[in-house]
Amino acid sequence: MDLQIALLLSQDGITNGAIYALLSLALVLVFAVTRVIFIPQGEFVAFGALTLASFQAGKTPGTLWLLVGAGVVVALLDITMALRSGASRRIPRIVGWNLVYPAAAAAVVFLLKPSEFPLLAQIVLALALVVPLGPMMYRLAYQPLAEASVLVLLIVSVAVHLALVGLGLLFFGAEGSRTPSFSDASFDLGLVTVNGQTLWVVGASLLLIVVLALFFERTIYGKALRATAMNRTGARLMGISTVMAGKLSFLLAALIGAFSGILIAPITTIYYDTGFLIGLKGFVGAIVGGLASYPIAAAGAILVGLLEAFSSFWASAFKEVIVFTLIIPVLVWRSLTTRHVEEDE
Amino acid sequence: MKLRKLVVAIAATCSAFVVHADITVGVTLSATGPAASLGIPEKNTIALLPTMIGGQKVNYIVLDDASDTTTAVKNVRKMISESKVDVIVGSTITPNSLAMIDVVAEAETPMISMAASARIVDPANPKTKWVFKTPQNDQQMAIAIAAHMADRGVKTVAFIGFNDAYGEGWHQEFIKYADTYKFKVVANERYSRADTSVTGQVLKIIAAKPDAVLIAGSGTPAALPQVTLKERGFAGKYYQTHGIANNDFLRVGGKNVEGTYLPAGPILVAAQLPDSNPIKKSALAYIAKYEAAHGKGSISTFGGHAWDAGLLLQNAVPTALKKAQPGTKEFRAALRDALEGTKDLVGVHGVFNMSPSDHLGYDQRARVMVTIDKGAWKLDK
Amino acid sequence: MRPRLILAVFLGLLLIAPLVASEFHVTLLNYIGLYAIVALGLVLLTGVGGLTSFGQAAFVGLGAYTTAYLSATENLPGWAASLGGSPWVGLLAGLLVTAVVAFVLGFLTLRLSGHYLPLGTIAWGISLYFLFGNLEFLGGHTGMSGIPALSVFGVELRESRKFYYVIWAVVLGAVWLTQNLLDSREGRAIRALKGGVIMAEAMGVDTARSKVVIFLVAALFACVSGWLYAHLQRFVNPTPFGLHIGIEYLFMAVVGGSAHVWGALVGAGVITVLKQWLQDWLPRLLGASGNFEMIVFGLMMIVVLQRARDGLWPILARLVPQREVRRDVPQGEVLPRKPVPESGLVLLEARNVVKQFGGLVANNNMSLTVKAGEVMALIGPNGAGKSTMFNCISGVNPPTKGEVRFRGEVVTNLNSRQIAKLGMSRTFQHVRLLPTMSVLENVAIGGHLRGSKGVLPAMLHLEREEEQRLLAEAARQVERVGLKDSMFELAGSLALGQQRTLEIARALCADPCLLLLDEPAAGLRYLEKQSLAELLRKLRGEGMGILLVEHDMDFVMGLADRVVVMEFGEKIAEGLPDEVQRDPAVLEAYLGGVD
Repeated sequence: MDLQIALLLSQDGITNGAIYALLSLALVLVFAVTRVIFIPQGEFVAFGALTLASFQAGKTPGTLWLLVGAGVVVALLDITMALRSGASRRIPRIVGWNLVYPAAAAAVVFLLKPSEFPLLAQIVLALALVVPLGPMMYRLAYQPLAEASVLVLLIVSVAVHLALVGLGLLFFGAEGSRTPSFSDASFDLGLVTVNGQTLWVVGASLLLIVVLALFFERTIYGKALRATAMNRTGARLMGISTVMAGKLSFLLAALIGAFSGILIAPITTIYYDTGFLIGLKGFVGAIVGGLASYPIAAAGAILVGLLEAFSSFWASAFKEVIVFTLIIPVLVWRSLTTRHVEEDE
Repeated sequence: MKLRKLVVAIAATCSAFVVHADITVGVTLSATGPAASLGIPEKNTIALLPTMIGGQKVNYIVLDDASDTTTAVKNVRKMISESKVDVIVGSTITPNSLAMIDVVAEAETPMISMAASARIVDPANPKTKWVFKTPQNDQQMAIAIAAHMADRGVKTVAFIGFNDAYGEGWHQEFIKYADTYKFKVVANERYSRADTSVTGQVLKIIAAKPDAVLIAGSGTPAALPQVTLKERGFAGKYYQTHGIANNDFLRVGGKNVEGTYLPAGPILVAAQLPDSNPIKKSALAYIAKYEAAHGKGSISTFGGHAWDAGLLLQNAVPTALKKAQPGTKEFRAALRDALEGTKDLVGVHGVFNMSPSDHLGYDQRARVMVTIDKGAWKLDK
Repeated sequence: MRPRLILAVFLGLLLIAPLVASEFHVTLLNYIGLYAIVALGLVLLTGVGGLTSFGQAAFVGLGAYTTAYLSATENLPGWAASLGGSPWVGLLAGLLVTAVVAFVLGFLTLRLSGHYLPLGTIAWGISLYFLFGNLEFLGGHTGMSGIPALSVFGVELRESRKFYYVIWAVVLGAVWLTQNLLDSREGRAIRALKGGVIMAEAMGVDTARSKVVIFLVAALFACVSGWLYAHLQRFVNPTPFGLHIGIEYLFMAVVGGSAHVWGALVGAGVITVLKQWLQDWLPRLLGASGNFEMIVFGLMMIVVLQRARDGLWPILARLVPQREVRRDVPQGEVLPRKPVPESGLVLLEARNVVKQFGGLVANNNMSLTVKAGEVMALIGPNGAGKSTMFNCISGVNPPTKGEVRFRGEVVTNLNSRQIAKLGMSRTFQHVRLLPTMSVLENVAIGGHLRGSKGVLPAMLHLEREEEQRLLAEAARQVERVGLKDSMFELAGSLALGQQRTLEIARALCADPCLLLLDEPAAGLRYLEKQSLAELLRKLRGEGMGILLVEHDMDFVMGLADRVVVMEFGEKIAEGLPDEVQRDPAVLEAYLGGVD
């Protein structure tokens, strides 16, 4: 291996690592706020990318139907609950988000021709379809189980993941898609050429991380999420609704997931079931960060990306064996250096 | 406690639905899971198969095995014992098909596999006696590539394939012909279907400076190594396997897959075949039927294997019907014999001439070399 | 119907199932059995022990591959061929290989705490899967065929109807072993892993060892399931041993009820049957297009878990009348006791103990002694650092500086388990007991160190005599503290004061020479306090040293021989109760000054 190859591999590792890092941030966020280990995170990656690809191919993405369907179910549940608890003034809001919004999205998709939109508008529309699925998913699958054990929440995540992968196959078929690059530019840096999309991925990831940091530091919602993450009961006593915090964290996770998918769709092929492995690698980063620290999670994710790139060069057939075996010592080291109270639950 | 009751209840409801009489074809294929891109067109094709053969009604039972061996075997046991099927069609992938052999041999039920490996029917023994297959053997396709490479002066080849049975099978077959066709395999790389990057493997291939690269993957995931190789400036020849032969591959590969060579069943370029080729008519008829149901450009050669399985049955069932009634052990044996006796049956992938030692029965007509030209499959002459 | 009757009916049905059920239903039952064996391991590991593993499928793979490799002899190198060929050799070798691999993996990953552990199991689960697929001698991704059928007593088990009996014998055997294990001294230690580690360690339980034990047992169960699978299927390839299947096993355990042995069977059954049912019915309901099985299956599971978050077994169990609670008090020979130290001998000596949490000094220069046959009281206002001192002494949270000697030995750097072995036992200020276990069982944990029989005798129930003696001892202590009437109730159902009393019984069950009691009288009524004081006086009379933290001054002053007063982490007074009560510094601390 010469320097050039090492640099190219590093570039590749960092690009993938940036995506894993984004996902690991979302996983840390969701876990800290809701204690859910969010396995379906990866499905948002696939849904985001494939929805965009559907627009470009002039097809109606199945995620639209999912949005409409989930919206109807959420609306029915919430309206029933609102009526029972006598909070009928909440109904307009429920109807607005869960019925009117999906209907509006459907109208845009059907009346206008998304395939002729500029790329940016297609991306916004894809996000507009996929991201609201996050809070709806929280409402339907997790909210009734908010107080259950981590293990039960984890198993629910597995169930949600299974259902979504099935839906993905139904919506998008077994074959994959690529989307056009955001930019065709490439930059010659002496030994290596960096192409535009790589810069987009890394740049957008960094930007998103900064925006998230600002969100958590500066905004009232961000602070509410941090408070919930630190102390759920305390936050509730301070008037921060657990449901609101849960939905918000799922919204952010869905946004991060779908956006990640849209970022990498031009440099790889995305399939209906791509998400699981990508999510898993983000999960590795998140765990290395102890499901608590954002910077360490991001560093862990980049580490996974690099390990992957180099081991695929050295012994590609054993790539997963190498990556996952090397992770064990890292976990042991992290486990030994992190202080934690043994007494759980 | 409850569980037993549940099982019994389900047993009762299921058995109420079992159809006796008629001919029953049990199909298990990988309509979900990693092999879904192969299994779905097969499944679609089964739906197009005739429901009457030789004046007898045919029922098709189609089960999904999710590309998983355990499920495939479970499905076969279920269809044999619950539905008393006369023949099993499937599965889509090699490991599943291999695992099913024991079960069908024990139940003395003929099986027509739609998976690639020659190991499914070779060597002929009391178990494989019951097993037939419709897709070309890896071996036949590998020789085609090796010969094509030799003709074009390729001395060094890099191999990159799926990290699964497909990639493994291809590598095993392909390296066998290195000596005969005087080339060296200078790199052997693997990647997973869902990998987001193959940069590492591609860099290694480029460092080995091969004259050609052979990519052994199926469906759209086979495009990723080629696209990455192109981006990294690899200028040698590109070979793919028949696993890519659907239009989605062209869509995803775009400009990057121009000029790729691959061996394929003649169905892929049916319209370009000379009229003298008997397969042309057969293949075009199937394509017309499939595209009428699923839209233009939806055809995939994998569906053709299911169609061929259907043709084999349409050919063999009337013979077997003369000897025994469907649903009986005798019928299954007669059907097996009739399948083994298939002669000059024109399918969409080739012409079948079976014998006790050859349960595939293809000859040279079952494969053509194809190249990708202007975003379309073109017969390479 | 009584539980026993239901069990008998269940076993009867199992026995005749292959005679009446169709071939396919027998096949299904076979698979259910195979899955149940693995899920049973997970019940032990995850449901009871609290250790989540996604990697069990890899152990199934180890079992399957080992026997496949050894019994399909053509693969073997010449020297080994004579050994191979027999599934039984395959089983033994598989168990051995699995034990070694599980031991190594357990050694590495069981140190992982919290969420590191599940990820660790995912990591080696994936590694082993790809290893199976890329090792040529194991048939690579394509797989290995030619595995012989199993023969038992010369009968070749080719048909699933015959194989059925082997599988279900193993399932029931595994259920029996697991239940035996859980209902034993080792089992109580295992059940303490989830939420009771600190307590268990303080009672002398080696929780790290318990973790390894359940990890090994679960891995070996999985291995046996793999061995059966290989000979049932007679073909192995990597897909049935991947991460997805590993997740599915966990799924079965949780849906069935991961805290219950029978939950494993219910989970394996319900999921297998449900999948079949969906495969049969969905195409009829929705037409043949598309594959809705996975989607509907996922949605159904979400609903099931929302309705039954503890799994299905507890719901099923509720349908039958409660199992009859055992009413007879266990009887047994008295366990041997340690020699009692001579009265007046210094048992405990803490010198200049400092405990810092980051910058916060919780204990500063604390010194105290406790002699055999005396009650020493440690008092002080809330937050004075009394419980911290307790934790320093008992090794739960060792001191930053200073020295603790117990019976002449320096124990400063020993952990709580080692200290417990020397004869110190304690209660906790915030009650630490296992709410879903009975009072008797909770108390019996205290006697952990007085038994010696290990896991194997426990699984085979060869330790019944010792167990009986342990339970009898626990019963005596329960009676002694006055909880006889609640002996068989769940510990969690007691009032707080009684739970504290339970902790005293548990501590006494260890046969200590020094007893550390952290606020034992809190939450007790007057009469109960009286009898507690009576008990402590009696123990003192028997030569036991008692270190007591208490807020109830009447209780303390009436009982203690000497008193140490703490404030802000430091000792402000020490002496006889009367002296201390008159000490101005103490009055200042308690009453905020007497100007």
